[in-house]
Amino acid sequence: MPPDNPVSRQGTAAAPAPTSTLFALVAIVAVIAAQSFAILTSPAEGDMGHLQKIMYVHVPAAWMAFISFFVVLVYSIRYLWRRNENDDLLAASAAEVGAVFTGLTLMLGMIWGRPAWGVWWVWDARLTSTLVLFLIFVGYLALRAFVDDSGQRARWSAAVGAIGAINVPIVYMSVKWWRTLHQPPSSPETLDPAYTMGLRLNAIALLLVTIYFIRKRYEIARVERAVEHLAEAAAMRGK
Amino acid sequence: MAWQHDWRRVRAIARKDLTTELRAKAGFNGVASLAVTILILLGLALGPDAAALRNAAVGAVWLATLFSGVLAFNRSFQVELESGALEPLLLYPGARWTIFAGKLIANFAFVSLMVAIVTVAGIVLFGIAVPARWPSLIAVIALGVIGLVVLGTFYASMASRSRAREVLLPLLLFPMLVPVLLAATTASKALLGADIMHEAGPWIRLLIGFDIVFLIATFIAFEHVIEA
Amino acid sequence: MIEMNQTFIIAAYSVTWAVILGYLLLVSRKGSRVRDQYERMLGEIRVEDRP
Repeated sequence: MPPDNPVSRQGTAAAPAPTSTLFALVAIVAVIAAQSFAILTSPAEGDMGHLQKIMYVHVPAAWMAFISFFVVLVYSIRYLWRRNENDDLLAASAAEVGAVFTGLTLMLGMIWGRPAWGVWWVWDARLTSTLVLFLIFVGYLALRAFVDDSGQRARWSAAVGAIGAINVPIVYMSVKWWRTLHQPPSSPETLDPAYTMGLRLNAIALLLVTIYFIRKRYEIARVERAVEHLAEAAAMRGK
Repeated sequence: MAWQHDWRRVRAIARKDLTTELRAKAGFNGVASLAVTILILLGLALGPDAAALRNAAVGAVWLATLFSGVLAFNRSFQVELESGALEPLLLYPGARWTIFAGKLIANFAFVSLMVAIVTVAGIVLFGIAVPARWPSLIAVIALGVIGLVVLGTFYASMASRSRAREVLLPLLLFPMLVPVLLAATTASKALLGADIMHEAGPWIRLLIGFDIVFLIATFIAFEHVIEA
Repeated sequence: MIEMNQTFIIAAYSVTWAVILGYLLLVSRKGSRVRDQYERMLGEIRVEDRP
């Protein structure tokens, strides 16, 4: 146990190196550039006109959600293995960012679906799996909110995060089977080479944003944890 | 032999849980009654057209089972919680997994009995004809119940000790049970009909795979989760 | 048809930027709030530790 000494506590909170605002600016500029490139260079398609341009935000958002979830999986397992508090905090940060991107993916999916299919929602494989993934994220975050003991919270979140992550491919597979058995397949996203470059650029740019979000959130989580430590120490001194 | 000792612990815990539930008859009777009540409400909400009810039957039975099941799972840890018996139980020498195994067995017995009652009620209320392939149907139901019990018991070991257990358990459990729900309902519907497309087979394999994967995963995770 | 699609395209990009900038804002505000809280608690402890 580290000594009950304000200076050492401060040391814990000061590292990691603060995520620079410059990085955020670079990421934002990258997204603007990638979106501009994609919007301006992609040709109109069939009778959907320019609707497929939504793909440049919808698909990368989905990818970021899955990447975040993968980070949650890795750091959850790492925490259970090494019991380093920081691994738990990073997993939790990735979960929050992942929830944001999953929510965004769902909203964009609906915004795309309305003109494309005429309805706000269809129970197609991708949309439904993303919704279930969103609920799994929400469950993880709710668990953290309702557990006060930091050790228990970390262990339980790690277990829930890892087990939840294992289920993601199973959920996707089962929903896909469920759909293909009863309904004709939803319009596939045939990736014309004309679109791939724009998609890749947008994915990379959004990845920069995601990295910034997770690092920033992690930084804050470290300070939050330090505050918790201070409160625990104060309580132990019988304030 | 250590293995025999562990197995004895498992049986002891399972027996303890089951006798506790049987003595507090309110426990099982209450949960089973709730399940049937939910089924009746679903019938009222989705009916009265006989064809609509027959279509909804499989889904209704599973939903009634799911919603009542969460009560059973939280209860399985409640006794230890209220009497503060969890800490001493953990102090006893012996593997922790035996606690999980014991509770799994007790919960499986409990939920199986409940499912049997709900299924019979569903057959009657929703006008189902028992199909020729009813043994396969029972297999599907059993596999679904295993998945439900494994994940339900696991999440309840945490939710029951948290601040908002009534909300947290369903919130954590239900999204995870999506594959089980889809597999069990689709396979059941196929088996209630003629299953000309042989749909049930792949879904049964999915259920088996799901059950194995999560049986292993929860046993491993339980060690980390049960520490006080 | 294409005009109607344009509404949705604009909506999609607006929502995306709203989420990105919104989360950015939320996270910065939370960051300063938590850091202030930490400084404050640290200050309280230092005051106590003074003999």
